[in-house]
Amino acid sequence: MQESPFFKTPVLREQITAALNHLDHVLPGQAPILDFVHHNTLHGFQHLPFEEALAEFEALTGTCGYLPEAQNRAFYHQGRIDDRDLSAAFAHDPKLLAEQIVCTLKDKTITRQDLYRIAMLFDLQAVNISQLNWQIEEMDALSAVQADVPEQVRSQLGAGQGNAIRQLWENILNKLELEQAAVHPENMLDLSVEQAEDWLAQVSLVDNRASAHQQMLQQAETALDELLSELGDSITLRGFIMALSGTDILDSVRPQLIRLCASGLDEGMAAWQLPERSQLGLYAAWRATAQYDASPFLHDLPDWQQIMSELPEDAVDTIILQLTHLEIPQAKWEGYLRRLALEIPGWSGMINWRQHRPKYRTENDAAPTLADYLAIRLTLDRLWLNQICRDTWNVEAKLSSLQSYFRKNLSQFIVRRQLHQKDLPEYLTQLAESLTNRTDSEHHHRAGWQQLADLIETWQLSPMTKNNDGRSVCNSGWRLFRLCQHLGLTATHIELLHKTDLQQMLAVLDEFNVTERSKVWLYAYEHHYREAFFQALCSNHNRGRWAKRNERPDSQIIFCMDDREESFRRHLEELNPAIETLGAAGFFGVAMNYKGLDDRNVTPLCPVVVTPAHEVQELARTGSEKNLLSHNRGRTLNQRIANMLHQGLRRNLLLSHPVIDAIAPVTFAGLLGKSLLPKPQRNLVSGIAQLFSPKVETQLLFTAKDNSTAAEPDHPKLGFTDNEQADRVAGFLRNTGLTYGFSELVVLMGHGSISQNNPHLAAYDCGACSGRHGGPNARVFAAMANRPEIRELLAERGITIPSDTWFIGAEHNTCNEEISWYDISDVPAERLAGLKKLQREMRHAQLMSAHERCRRLASAPRNPTPDEALAHIEERATDFSQARPELGHATNASAVVGRRSLTQGAFFDRRVFLISYDPTQDPDGKVLENVLLAVGPVGAGINLEYYFSTVNNERFGCGTKVPHNVTGFFGVMEGASSDLRTGLPQQMIEIHEPMRLQILVEAKTAVLEQIYARQESLRELIAGGWVHLSAKDPDSGEIFIFERGSGFMPWQTEAEELPVYDKSPDCYRDQTLPVPPALIKQPDLLGAV
Amino acid sequence: MDALVILIPLMPFIAATLIGMGHLFGAISGEASESATADIANWAISMSCLLALTLLGSDLLDKNAGSYSIGQWLNSDTLNVQMNFITTGFSVRLAALFSVLLVIILRFSVNYMHREAGYHRFFFILSLFASAMLLLVLSGNAVGTFIGWEIAGFCSYLLIAYAYDRPVAATNATRVFVTNRIGDAGFILGIGLSYAWIDSINWNDLNATAAQLPSGQATAISTCFAIAAFTKSAQFPFIPWLARTMEGPTPSSAVFYGAVMVHAGVYLLILLEPVFEQAPFTMALVAIIGAITAVYAVIVGLTQTDAKSSLIFATSGQLGLMFLECGLGYWQLVSWHLCAHAVVRGYQFLTAPSLMHNVQGNPIKPVPPAIARLRWAYVVSSQRFWLDQFNDWALVRPIRRLAHDLGHFDDHIVDGIMGAPAPAIRAISSLAQLEEKNIGARLDNEFDSFAHGSGLAGKLTEWTAAILHWFEDRFVLRGIGKGTISYGRKLGHIANKFEQLVLRPRYLVLFVFITLLVAF
Repeated sequence: MQESPFFKTPVLREQITAALNHLDHVLPGQAPILDFVHHNTLHGFQHLPFEEALAEFEALTGTCGYLPEAQNRAFYHQGRIDDRDLSAAFAHDPKLLAEQIVCTLKDKTITRQDLYRIAMLFDLQAVNISQLNWQIEEMDALSAVQADVPEQVRSQLGAGQGNAIRQLWENILNKLELEQAAVHPENMLDLSVEQAEDWLAQVSLVDNRASAHQQMLQQAETALDELLSELGDSITLRGFIMALSGTDILDSVRPQLIRLCASGLDEGMAAWQLPERSQLGLYAAWRATAQYDASPFLHDLPDWQQIMSELPEDAVDTIILQLTHLEIPQAKWEGYLRRLALEIPGWSGMINWRQHRPKYRTENDAAPTLADYLAIRLTLDRLWLNQICRDTWNVEAKLSSLQSYFRKNLSQFIVRRQLHQKDLPEYLTQLAESLTNRTDSEHHHRAGWQQLADLIETWQLSPMTKNNDGRSVCNSGWRLFRLCQHLGLTATHIELLHKTDLQQMLAVLDEFNVTERSKVWLYAYEHHYREAFFQALCSNHNRGRWAKRNERPDSQIIFCMDDREESFRRHLEELNPAIETLGAAGFFGVAMNYKGLDDRNVTPLCPVVVTPAHEVQELARTGSEKNLLSHNRGRTLNQRIANMLHQGLRRNLLLSHPVIDAIAPVTFAGLLGKSLLPKPQRNLVSGIAQLFSPKVETQLLFTAKDNSTAAEPDHPKLGFTDNEQADRVAGFLRNTGLTYGFSELVVLMGHGSISQNNPHLAAYDCGACSGRHGGPNARVFAAMANRPEIRELLAERGITIPSDTWFIGAEHNTCNEEISWYDISDVPAERLAGLKKLQREMRHAQLMSAHERCRRLASAPRNPTPDEALAHIEERATDFSQARPELGHATNASAVVGRRSLTQGAFFDRRVFLISYDPTQDPDGKVLENVLLAVGPVGAGINLEYYFSTVNNERFGCGTKVPHNVTGFFGVMEGASSDLRTGLPQQMIEIHEPMRLQILVEAKTAVLEQIYARQESLRELIAGGWVHLSAKDPDSGEIFIFERGSGFMPWQTEAEELPVYDKSPDCYRDQTLPVPPALIKQPDLLGAV
Repeated sequence: MDALVILIPLMPFIAATLIGMGHLFGAISGEASESATADIANWAISMSCLLALTLLGSDLLDKNAGSYSIGQWLNSDTLNVQMNFITTGFSVRLAALFSVLLVIILRFSVNYMHREAGYHRFFFILSLFASAMLLLVLSGNAVGTFIGWEIAGFCSYLLIAYAYDRPVAATNATRVFVTNRIGDAGFILGIGLSYAWIDSINWNDLNATAAQLPSGQATAISTCFAIAAFTKSAQFPFIPWLARTMEGPTPSSAVFYGAVMVHAGVYLLILLEPVFEQAPFTMALVAIIGAITAVYAVIVGLTQTDAKSSLIFATSGQLGLMFLECGLGYWQLVSWHLCAHAVVRGYQFLTAPSLMHNVQGNPIKPVPPAIARLRWAYVVSSQRFWLDQFNDWALVRPIRRLAHDLGHFDDHIVDGIMGAPAPAIRAISSLAQLEEKNIGARLDNEFDSFAHGSGLAGKLTEWTAAILHWFEDRFVLRGIGKGTISYGRKLGHIANKFEQLVLRPRYLVLFVFITLLVAF
């Protein structure tokens, strides 16, 4: 090992450690997939405003955070965005100066907005010479109006005269003083002297003294310096070598690295993992095993023995050593490491996640760190880079050698760089390839490289390539030609214009680049939805029930705020208007570590940002001990069988032979059943499992016996004290505004999802319960609220619950619509009749919810009866071939915080998070502050994850599920050695409409302004434009929009008549696409104000 | 009932043709046609399945003749290839089982592949594969089986590269395809030998005359077919290809490597049972290879950290056991093992995405600590005995370099001799040339030439003239100077280089091969 004092420098170590900690902001923050919880994909950039964050991320990774323009145009043609939205969007951004006049003609003035509109709707991209030739020669671009010009503009162009368009083209070129060159790449090898002299004249203009060849070499030197200076900012040495040799070392390094990381992180897939990974850590464990690896020898890597033997014991030292060896300038180290981590973002992100969560409970107690991972990566990189550099240039892979080599061989640099940028014409590519293949006789081919570099340079100077200033026929000429047609300008118009006018038009187009256009598209898209949404809320003003509970409701059901419950609630209320439904974050204010009857460990059930301080256990009820015994016995048996089938058949060669032979007939029947009759097969299997392991009546242990010690997240306490219970219940009831008018039955409805063959299962579960089922929270809340002691404490705190009110916990399965009821045996006899009736009504809501969901599922029956619909939905949940068991939060677009009366009576197409809050009970906004702090981040997290996964599913999402391969029980890869894929799969977002969440709060703007001023985390979301905020005045019903930078502005628009339907199904009959909000006829009944 | 057998592979083939043609001519495309494609494939394969079950039923009732021929396909001198099929026994049972599994996996794909860009392509390939596989199993002669064998392999290539935009998938597909060609060589040689020695390529004839075959001939024939089986069923040393196949969609992994195709090699052995029984050497070879494979797969399988790789090595292990059983002569056991394994492994592959939910809180039994601590053993397992790297080192890279050298030879020597078209006289191709011309300088004025010529004859004349001129210039006119020494040195350098090149291992090996070829 090299013992220089240099490695002991703590400053360097600190620099590296700081750089690695900083990576937390740029790497994907996704948890292991069993704990999938929705979060903002760009969480590390959330401190920036939305647009800046996207720009920064694009600068860093090249991934654009807006929907592709083609998709936006498709939305425009579908009517999902219209001209009014576009105008509003232009007007919304003062920097666009939409009304400014660009030029004036005698019969028309052209404003910036006119140009913007055309640039948005039509493709005004520059073309290359071949495309231009194609357009002119094959598409008759000069004899007919462009095909996409709308009819009314077409008539202005006087399309009848054959020459009009050709005249237009010529006039534009004349005005711009451009000449159309008709050269084909094939002619380049035989240039006429005139042509060449012409181009040479252009070069000579730049520098008269140097010859073309010398100038080229000078430019190449600059280009080399530029490329080298990019190291650490946008490329690593791997990128540099790839740009010059066309070989990507990552192809060789990635499989090795991934195999190792997967083994180091594995949570139980393999029976044999990296030895001593927990004692030594990832890096040291690798270092210890690497000496036995024969791969470097088989791959003929240069100096591998020396490089491996020099490795320091510590990962950070290794990073320093390797960076020093590669001669990366010290100032660039941070950037270099970031770039390195971002080349395999999924794996880097997972290791980073583990590093920052030392308490993560898993089968594997290894503590991988980014330093380990990057140390290994850098070492592998060095080995492989050395090989390529030696084989191709006979130098070592370090900056100084590469630099001096290419300085001496600038021609070679030019040829290689151009070849691997892949934009050379065929005749040059061929020559370059055959030259680069002759690697072993470098020095004897100097003349060959020079000649080819000259050829390439000539090609670059010819008018066939895009010139840097964009002033070419293909660029400015063609773009203006298309623009003028869309503006309805004819050849005569052009003659009247000045050259500066045309240049001004081009300047406007250049300024209004694709990012600017995307911003406008996004705003217009959101505007379209927002207008319809606000119209519906306005029209629904004073129509909805339960602004005040003047009558006692039949029953009250508190759902999760989840958008998927919107339709369920609507159908339930339509059937029985006397039912009141409410919505709240689905952990019902009870943050806990939960341990179910069959669980070995506790699971936190609360939003991810909270760490629970209490534990709740599910225990068998007294009297069912005997049952419990047989349950446990059967469960052990079931587990053994499952272990044999799922683990043993992979692990044990000899034993699995007889097992396979024996179980094949059963498996065959099972497979047939799963394929032909999934639902009965499923029922049969779970029936048999239950036969062995009978169900046990359980109850929750949630009351603490110990009142003295305080509960701490670090030392969770078993159960809640009475006071803590009363706090939870009272707090929750106040948040939802349910402090009076209790009905006889109050149901708390948690939710979860069940599906087959779905690695992303947790992404369909309750986001407020860390991606788990929310049933236990509902159950424990109900049990707390039913205790007489707690009722007394509540009465002391001003919430009087009538003695005939009974709370029930339940869970709604959003996939198959099933509802599980908890602790029904405790329900008093006099409530049972009411419960029976409620369950019947719920049945209807289940049917109708299934019915409404079917319209968006391609494989569901069209226009089914409710029974058919539910049958399909139930079967779907048991079908192991269904990659879309349900659609999750797709299409979520808004959140309403306020009383149900705001939204009840309108159809919102399952797109709204509904959170109950009663402003009349909360004059100072204290309650609202809590509500917003809880729902703001949860709602934004869900919405933004869907947004980003939709706009670019390949980069932000995880692509299609079809090739996904579960890895180490913590993630999915494509195939067997790809990056870990993070984000949502294509199957979850296909129908999503990517727009930011519209949060509408029923409150006075003054109250909201105060909260906004107090709460940094809300300010970050709202002022940063990650969500949109608006307010509806509780009294006047007026709507105010929060404009970033200027505060609340009244929303003004002409009132529109909304269609009114009898029932929900009328709103969506025969529709498979999104349906705009509509009103539903309200019965003149009790409860309405 | 025997006649039904033709329809069994034919139906999916028609389906593949319909889907393929429809897609090619634009009648089937996009999401709207998904149901049409799925219906065609589903209907055809379900029909095949029913027919196969009927055939199986009548076989069980002993109503089948044993083979069915629809006529002659090829007749040349003594070579007579019938289009015939087997209608009894294990082949029919296996055809019935495979067709049921194919139906299940096809139905699985209908929902699973919904809205995939390659939906129609996937169903086209799957139908074609179904047809090939059923032909492979049912064909009564080696040529029919070989056709099925090849098409199935080709379909597997297409589906590994299903996501052909991902370079890793495309590379792996190619690698798999190339590896399998070794097996083809064995298969074809086997066909040739059986024709040469017993004048027939019908499986029945081959098996019937097996008892009279001299053991040398039986060994030769059976070894050839065993090699084909080794590659198709990924036995040692061909195992690495199987691990490379995991790039395709889940249902294709299930059908090719879990349930159906990977068992083709074992089927071939079972089919040729009588021939193998005559060749103790081959039996021993099969047993040894099977045992090595099983041990290899179980050791490597222990360190696999992703669901599909873990399953694929478990599959390899069981296939190894099947070969071992064949080698030991437990033919009945093998046939049941094959069918049972196809079903169970197919199921496991189809449900692979839910593996982690099925075993939550139910961990796998770890390797005994005494072994788990052995670092070298872990490296051996996780690097898969370096089999892939070794193949690279010993085969792929030398061959690639050879190709590279040949390309060089072609470009610089053959083209030179043949004479490539020269640029038009007096034209220029780069600005630098123009400049030089303007200054009156020339870059390539190492020696002045009188004449221009192209092609061998042209160049020969040119060179002669040039040499004479040069000779005259250097030696006669200027006398012997420094130039001579430097030319001599250059010449020596070239000679050295040539020697180095020729002494590289790849050329040595090549020479050995050429010598062998010439010798035989």
